[in-house]
Amino acid sequence: MKNRKKATPWLYTLPAFLLIGIVIVFPILYTAYISLTNMNLYHWNDFHLIGLENYKRALLKADSGFLSAIGTTILWTAVNMGVQLFLAYFIALGLNAEGLKLKRVYKTLLMFPWAMPAYVSILLWKVCMFNSEFGLLNKVVTALGGTKLNYLSENVPAFLACTVLNLWMALPFMIMMIDGALQSIDASLYESAMMEGAGFWQKSIFITLPCIRPIIAPSAIMTAFTTFKQFDIIYLLTKQKGSLTGASIQTIITYAHENAFVSNNYGLSSAVSILIFGIIILFSVFTNRGLKEENS
Amino acid sequence: MRKRKIRQALSLISLNTVFLALCFITLVPVLYAFLLSVSDGSSAFAGGVGPRSFTLENYRRIITEEPFLLWLKNSVVLSLGTMVLAMGFATTASYAFSRYRFKGRMKILFLLVLLNAFPQILSMFAIFRLFKTFGLLDSNAGLMIVYAGSMCIFSIWNLKGYFDTIPMEIEEASKIDGASDFTMLVKIVLPLARPAIIVTGVMVLIFVWNEYLFATTFLLNGDKYTLAGGLYQLQANDYSRSWSLFTAAAVLVSIPILIIFFCIQKYMVSGLTAGGVKG
Repeated sequence: MKNRKKATPWLYTLPAFLLIGIVIVFPILYTAYISLTNMNLYHWNDFHLIGLENYKRALLKADSGFLSAIGTTILWTAVNMGVQLFLAYFIALGLNAEGLKLKRVYKTLLMFPWAMPAYVSILLWKVCMFNSEFGLLNKVVTALGGTKLNYLSENVPAFLACTVLNLWMALPFMIMMIDGALQSIDASLYESAMMEGAGFWQKSIFITLPCIRPIIAPSAIMTAFTTFKQFDIIYLLTKQKGSLTGASIQTIITYAHENAFVSNNYGLSSAVSILIFGIIILFSVFTNRGLKEENS
Repeated sequence: MRKRKIRQALSLISLNTVFLALCFITLVPVLYAFLLSVSDGSSAFAGGVGPRSFTLENYRRIITEEPFLLWLKNSVVLSLGTMVLAMGFATTASYAFSRYRFKGRMKILFLLVLLNAFPQILSMFAIFRLFKTFGLLDSNAGLMIVYAGSMCIFSIWNLKGYFDTIPMEIEEASKIDGASDFTMLVKIVLPLARPAIIVTGVMVLIFVWNEYLFATTFLLNGDKYTLAGGLYQLQANDYSRSWSLFTAAAVLVSIPILIIFFCIQKYMVSGLTAGGVKG
């Protein structure tokens, strides 16, 4: 009887563990194994173990492109998070301004990009906005008398285009989070600040920001991870199979994907994947500790 | 005093103007896509920015001339199948995590969070190779397993969070009445947790509906395509003719998701944050 009791939780969790084992754990282990071999298009079946060669190639050879991809990824994450937090903060402040009657309407409309299926949004932007012949942006540019621009053919414009799109897609969530945090601030704090004659910036720096920081920290960190792992935007805008646009922005995720599915360097791609997983684990352990300390 | 009132009114007017502009900028891509979808295919991508004649021709063509209904059917089958699979497995597992204190419980929960942080794209090649070996490429069953597996951890955490809020006393009372563990789960706990189960299930549904990468990599055969695969194909064709079809299809694909999203919006926020590091 007692043994049966002990087995019950395992019985309940077994199907889920089996599923997770097959779809998540085993592929990760398999990826780790492939990362130690020379598997590629020519060695699809007769690959053999080559030790840490792939890791060496990724980390020590500058021409492998991995190191510059790390740089791009850090830049991408920093730029996006910075602009996103900045804009979302002011938009949320505006939404909470006294006497704004249409707040709910604005909020609902601003949530739209969040609700759209991500791949649909990205493809719509590619076809309807950035397209150099038919896109709305170039129609506006030519209507104003300018010459048509090619947004996705070079790295810097393409990076900006991806950033704009990412902001469009990610801002709603951030605005919601900050909006919620703002409403939790005790109004009496502002009243006493007003009495002492504090201006907008002083109130922001000494009251609003310190108050919302602990509340939005988890969602900001979550968004930072999502941005760091962002694949769809860069891939669908510039790297679709058969329709490369000319820009060669490479974050570490697109780098791993390209090596696996385009240039068929399965060993190298897997090594990079394991490295990225390592980075993510380090990050999450680190940020978890930071969050815990802040809360206690 | 009057001066202050005027100043306040002026700042409100400017704030409203800013927000109207902001909403407009936000909605422009969607509105423009909609405008293209209801305008004549040949002129849509050629002429100026201004309005054109209204037509539902693109919608008729996407439904009758393209296999849109087949894609729709595939997407529905795939998302419902995944939902049943993922929720079935996750409900019992999360119940166990919430109610039983067994050895390694905390460690496993933490491990699940870490595993969830692993971007699935990175192991896609490994899964691809495995599926190729076992002949699971190009099959709905294969994709369902992948999707269910990747949503399983999220569902477990989400449901566990809700189960934790249901007081134990209710179950203890029925235990005294002699109910077995399993009947208790089905008869008492599940009905109580219905809102959480529905919301989590809908999120799984949305995830599958919106997934394109695995769908376009693993389904190679045209008649297995999901909506994502079909739309991808339409836009990849370099003819402006299929682009107006694409905008019509994009509108049709987004509408159900938009409706569902705005219905469960308030749960989305709590669910996302409770789910931790989900990307």
